Amino acid sequence: MLDVEDLSVSYGAVQALQGVTFQAREGTVTAVLGANGAGKTTLLRTVSGLVKRQSGNVSYGGVELTGLSVENIVRLGISHVPEGRGVIEELTIDENLRLGTLWQFGRQERRSVLDEIYELFPQLAQRKRRMASTLSGGERQMLAIGRALSSKPKLLLLDEPSLGLAPLVTAQIMALIQELARETRLTVVLVEQNVRSALSIAEEAVVINLGRVVIADTAASVAADTELRHLYLGF
Amino acid sequence: MSLFINLTLNGITNGMIFAAVALGLVFIWRATHIVNFSQGSMAMFTTYIAVTLLDRHINYWLVFAAALVAGLVMGGVIEVVLIRPLRGKHALNPVIVTLGLFILLEGLAGSIFGVGNRSFPPAFSQAGLTFGHSTIAFSHFDLFILAAVVILMLGTLVLFRATNMGLRMRAAAFAPEVARLLGVRVGRILTLGWALAAVAGSLAGLLVAPTVSFSPNFMDLILVYAFTAAVVGGLDSPVGALVGGLVTGLSLSYVGGYLGSSLEPLGALAILMVVLSARPEGIFSRPAPRRV
Repeated sequence: MLDVEDLSVSYGAVQALQGVTFQAREGTVTAVLGANGAGKTTLLRTVSGLVKRQSGNVSYGGVELTGLSVENIVRLGISHVPEGRGVIEELTIDENLRLGTLWQFGRQERRSVLDEIYELFPQLAQRKRRMASTLSGGERQMLAIGRALSSKPKLLLLDEPSLGLAPLVTAQIMALIQELARETRLTVVLVEQNVRSALSIAEEAVVINLGRVVIADTAASVAADTELRHLYLGF
Repeated sequence: MSLFINLTLNGITNGMIFAAVALGLVFIWRATHIVNFSQGSMAMFTTYIAVTLLDRHINYWLVFAAALVAGLVMGGVIEVVLIRPLRGKHALNPVIVTLGLFILLEGLAGSIFGVGNRSFPPAFSQAGLTFGHSTIAFSHFDLFILAAVVILMLGTLVLFRATNMGLRMRAAAFAPEVARLLGVRVGRILTLGWALAAVAGSLAGLLVAPTVSFSPNFMDLILVYAFTAAVVGGLDSPVGALVGGLVTGLSLSYVGGYLGSSLEPLGALAILMVVLSARPEGIFSRPAPRRV
């Protein structure tokens, strides 16, 4: 379980997060929603160690994450797919995927993990040796998610996977995320602007506004709260 | 005709040395986006270590290896002690530090090893090879220079293209933050980049030293030419360093041979100006997209 407690982060004079508290349970999808600039990306970046907190705690499975380096947080089984996908264009598809496996698997194991990923994303398997820059937006998102999965994470942090994707592709990706959480007990924290898609697959939802948590409840009750939706989620 | 052949051979040999130093600049540029002005003086320092060991009658090849290892350690230590604390600061800060290091190392070498000229014995004969009745400006030692740099280049190619460490190094160079999120210990990769750069530099120092009578500033002009080579090649491409080295070496050799050797530095300036105005990103580098 991911446990964020009273977390505050500031960039100089700008308070990006203030007293954020929520949990993400094992095997569930937790949607983090809110307008542009609400602090969603900062929240993920703080969990994965890219941004230093000001105060508060972040722990995963009882292990305190604050103070650990990004590289060591990864080694606890936490995988972060950054906004804009973070596919390394100068590397091939296979190299991108392999990169996620280097810190833990031997040669044999690595091959079988990558085969699993290619089975999940056949489009990538056909073009292993091509540069990642040749992929379309949807394929890049698949590569980014596949690469995050190649380290066999227990917690997946996804930052706007639907950004710039066609509705059909978004639906495919969301279905995949839901399936992964259900079948592999993966814990997913999903930051999304695409509120409807996110709520359709999430069990829990956290709504953030100007760095503060407005509500943390089940996705169903957030979706049902008309006033909340109008005020913070724009539909 | 024989002048042209000799100038060409001479240009290739010099070009290979420029390429080795340029490769060091490329390693550091790729890893930390710093132009390392101390690349030459680091190489000078390890060459002095080598000549000091040779004075004590230690086996030549053992000394050769020791100088390369000294470079490896020196490069790594410099990154950890001087460069790493400046990460996240203004990009000019580490560049100024490398300039300071350049002055410091030359001063230090002067006070430790003396400022007088020294000579370094070559590993192989420096007499020009003879074919029938004609002797060309290419010796066994030149052949050794050629082979050593080719091995260095091939080693680099294999490291980058065929090993997991090379994959980590490329990822760290292209997208350091993403690399960290994938578990790559980027800090160590940067240290390794500096260490390997210093090895390439040390090798160049050992290859140049026997051809000159050297003093603590003997790598200065070579660094200028190597910088030209690296810029011609594109600063972040190892293949570019090799091609840039050869282009620079050959051009300067022709300029020196046909127009006079005092014009060589001007030749380097001319090459820089032509390349920077025609293709500012260098021949082998892709133009970086500008963020809007």
